[in-house]
This record gives sequence, structure tokens and C-alpha cells, in this order.
Amino acid sequence: MLALLALASACSTSQTVVVEAPASELTAVPFFPQNRYQCGPAALATVLVERGVDITPEVLVPEVYLPERRGSLQLELIASTRRHGRLPYPLAQDLAMLLEEVAAGSPVLVLQNLGVAWLPRWHYAVVIGYDPAAESVLLRSGRQARRQESLSRFDRAWSLADRWALRILRPGEVPATGDPAVYLRAIMDSRELLSESDLHQALAAGVEHWPEAANLSFAAANHARDMGQVDRALNFYEHALSADAEHPGALNNLADLLLSIGEVERARKLIDQALSLVPEGSRLRTVIEETSREISEQE
Amino acid sequence: MKDLVLKFALLAFLCTSLSVPAAQARMLTTEEFLGVSERAAHLQTVQAVLEREAVKEQLIAYGVDPADAAERISGLTDQELAELAAQMEDLPAGGSALALIGAVFLVLLILELTGVINIFNNI
Repeated sequence: MLALLALASACSTSQTVVVEAPASELTAVPFFPQNRYQCGPAALATVLVERGVDITPEVLVPEVYLPERRGSLQLELIASTRRHGRLPYPLAQDLAMLLEEVAAGSPVLVLQNLGVAWLPRWHYAVVIGYDPAAESVLLRSGRQARRQESLSRFDRAWSLADRWALRILRPGEVPATGDPAVYLRAIMDSRELLSESDLHQALAAGVEHWPEAANLSFAAANHARDMGQVDRALNFYEHALSADAEHPGALNNLADLLLSIGEVERARKLIDQALSLVPEGSRLRTVIEETSREISEQE
Repeated sequence: MKDLVLKFALLAFLCTSLSVPAAQARMLTTEEFLGVSERAAHLQTVQAVLEREAVKEQLIAYGVDPADAAERISGLTDQELAELAAQMEDLPAGGSALALIGAVFLVLLILELTGVINIFNNI
């Protein structure tokens, strides 16, 4: 018994959580009270419907619920989001950024461990607001339409679930607290399930939001070229090179594109630059050398 | 099992009979450049298909309708499939479920009453 009490007191010495975030409450976020064990479908429906998907938790049950596990896996929520034409974006594991995202107008799907590390009770909920005066987080959670949870309790349960937070993006939407590399990765991971126009929108929005991120412009250029849009591809490659004049991918691909439209001289200049940048023996180098050879054939 | 062996043999045949294009001047794809996924190497593709199969079977074992299982994995990347194939049993399944056993219950009750955890809240 003493041991139990010791354990209890050890656990209750949780630190106070301090965070700078404005007051917010997204009252328009729908609420779907969950059925037993089915917080996954309910929470996912909440964020999908909020972003314009026509769906119900009942429809999501056969998509994300595991009867024998009495729950839903994070990766299955991610896959389901993609199948419904939205981009799942994993947020940084940071409380202030989570609340910033909510304050900017987007509900966030979170995983919590309501139990303890050695006996977890996993639960999905949706963060819809923050009340700085009461130091509490507002949630759509389980059967509670507006659950007010103290910041320290929320943070404890959330940190026990690795601070997993998922933002649902409409194609063309960029997260308020996003990172260009994570954003590009989110797009590439979803690309097989996105329509070409959604893919285009998502990439173009990223380029506009992060003009300095050369990889995003490079990806947008590649997609434009895949679509046969030569002018747009040229612009995006140029854009990538204005962000990073030594981007070997953009140098090679722009050279290749210029060659295809007969601009051999410019192609040569770019590919020579790429050759001077990429060390011999790498996979990248092999492709660049091939491009160079092909340019030689036209010279 | 025999079924699986057959599938594997068929797969291996299909993969080796697909010709790998010779290196040529071409654009680098975004995936290639970022090193996200290289599906070119056919061994890797074989592995990806096997992982797909393993995850599907695991889903069915967890009570998913076989008709839904294929659809469910369709939104996953190769890397995500590999993660599921390797450790699906250990990944958290959010559902507010809790298995209670004897003495543990007492500890939890104390923690709950002292406000440390929130485990009995009816969700």
C-alpha cells in the first residue's frame, strides 16, 4: 500500500505547463458523440467534415476501426484522410504550435493516453480551442461536445501519446505552423490518392507560401512537366534555382527540359554547373552525366 | 501457406520479367531526388507487396472484413506499410479501451481520485 501511495504522489507532482497562446474557440466544428471504443471514427469524422468532406463516423467505422483491438491506428486515420481527398499533415510535437494552429482556425486531431505509460488508455479527441484565463484546452472528446481540460492534464495525456497531432488540409491549404519539408513530404506521401489538379494546387500553394524552399518549386516543376505544361515547368525550375542556384535536381531537369525544346546552349551551361556540384559515383551523378551525354549529341 | 508460396513465385516471376529501363537522360523525379521511395529496385517491390499482404492479413485477424482490408491499406505509403507490417501489434489503437486486472484497479483508483489520471471517465 505504501508503494502505491508513493507511486501516486510521484505521479501527481506534475509540473505546471506554461504556454503563450491567444484565446480561441472554433464553435462551428461539428460534434459526433462516439460509440463505445469508436473515438477514432468519431474524431476523424469531426475534422474531415469540418474541412468539407461529406462523411459520418458510421461510414468511417469499416475504414478505420479494428474490432479485435477495440480501437483505431494512427496510420489508418492518415490513410483514410488521403482516401477522402484531404492531406494529412503531422504537426510539430509542440503545445504552443498546436494552439497556434487552432487559433488560426483549424481543429486538430490528437491522440491522448488517458491512463499511465504502463497501462495505456489510448483516446482520440479534437482540439477546438484554448481558454488562457482558465488555462484549459477545449475539446470535442468522446461523448462530450465541449470538454474543458486543464492545460496540465491535457499536456500530460498528450505527451504520453508522443504529442501526436494531425492537421487536415484541403489541397491548396498550408498549415499556419507548417514546415516546407514536412509539407512536401505530406504531399508526396498522398500523391497517389490526389487528383492531378489537387496535386497541382497543393504544390503551388506551398511554393507561394515558402518561395525560398527550392525543393517545393522543384516538385511543382516536375509535376507541371509530367502534365506537359512546359511554360509552367520552366517557371518553377527557374524559381527553384532563384531560391537555390546550386540545386542539382533543378539544374538537371531544367537542362533536360531546355534540350527537349531545342535550347541546347543553355542546357549545356546548366548541366556543366550540375557536373561541377555533384561528386562522382553518386546516383545523382549518373543521371546528370547521362543528361550531359545527350546534350553532347545535339551539340 | 501453399497459397502464399504460389503468390510469391508468381510475383518473383512478374518482377524479374519486367525489364528495367537502361539509364538515359531524363528528368529526376521528386521522389528520386528526395530519396523518399525508390521502387525501381525490384527486390524492394517484392518486399513491398509481401508487406502489403502481411498487413492485410493482420487487419483481417483483427476483425476487419476481408472485403474492406484491401481498400484500407490503399492509402498507405510503402514506408508506412513497412512500419505496420513490422509492429502493428505494438502500435497504439486509440479507442478508450482499458483492460482492468485486480490489483491494478486499486492503483488506478487511487491515481484517479488524486486527480493524476482520467482513466475512468466514461467516454
